[in-house]
Amino acid sequence: MKSLPVLAAACVLCTASAQAADREFTEVVHVISDEFHTRPMSIPMFGLVNLVTAAVHPAGTRHIDLAVFEHLSSHDREGRDLSQSILNAVGRSWRPFVQVRSRKNGHEETVFVYMRQEGKEWKLLVTAIERDEATVVQLLLNPDALARWMASPERCARHWNGDTTE
Amino acid sequence: MKFAIPVMLAVLPLAAQEIKMPVSLDRLAAKASEVVDVSLDGALLQLASRFLSEKDPDEAHVKRLVGGLKGVYVKSFEFEDRDQYKESDVEELRTQLKAPGWARIVSSRSKRNGDNADIYLKTDAGQISGLAIIVTDPRELTIVNIVGSIRPEDIRDLGGHFGIPKIDINPGKNDKKDKEDNR
Repeated sequence: MKSLPVLAAACVLCTASAQAADREFTEVVHVISDEFHTRPMSIPMFGLVNLVTAAVHPAGTRHIDLAVFEHLSSHDREGRDLSQSILNAVGRSWRPFVQVRSRKNGHEETVFVYMRQEGKEWKLLVTAIERDEATVVQLLLNPDALARWMASPERCARHWNGDTTE
Repeated sequence: MKFAIPVMLAVLPLAAQEIKMPVSLDRLAAKASEVVDVSLDGALLQLASRFLSEKDPDEAHVKRLVGGLKGVYVKSFEFEDRDQYKESDVEELRTQLKAPGWARIVSSRSKRNGDNADIYLKTDAGQISGLAIIVTDPRELTIVNIVGSIRPEDIRDLGGHFGIPKIDINPGKNDKKDKEDNR
């Protein structure tokens, strides 16, 4: 019975987390959905991840919004200029930070990183698009975590895209 | 409205220093195997410098350098094959750097490996207000624009930070290598 208030609080926090995604995050998800005619996969219990993140702040992260697209096919693409569409979706309140587009080994991979300050904290909006999958992540970071990103932006973007050679 | 003119005056010098990336570079992007764009304005740079340690002499030095900067902008292209771009692709950029206030202070050419580096200095009223670096080799093209107060000799120390590549700007060293190769 004692666990009921805790469970209720967790539900409220999870719900709050689910609602915290910025309009721009949602817009970018829509851009990718429209381009590839698909929807992001459902991530079970992701609200709990944010519950832990809010409590523990792993690597200076206080909140995460995540959308993952799998099994993308170039045959389903609309053929829009994704970088321009994402730029339009993100708008002027976010600063472009780093963009990496790689076509090595016949695989096209693109990472867009934007950032925005909110009070003492910073938000990072990362979109990584590979041949058959895409990820959109919005992170709420403390300044130290953001500084780590900025000290070596290219390496961070590559790392985000799974390239560990740098 | 009364704030408009001071704001415009404050913005104009900064805008005048930044290099416009020519359209020809967009065409290069289509040929490149990798394109990297990094944009760090003054506020972001100051934030980034917080991560640099005061205890480490090298990092402390970089931290001091960053204090005088208003922006770092890096664009680099990497190509699978040699000679995928021509000098004419960069010509529009070099033309901008011939404008009043800009002066080329270092030009390094290596016949040995085809690495070339040019460093341009921007001065306003006798004060250094920016730098531009164009580094070319047969498979890579990198353009760096640093806005703010920086001495040319400090570029090497910024290499490896904030997306700025490590640059060997010792022309004498390259000349020596070339001479040795030609023997």
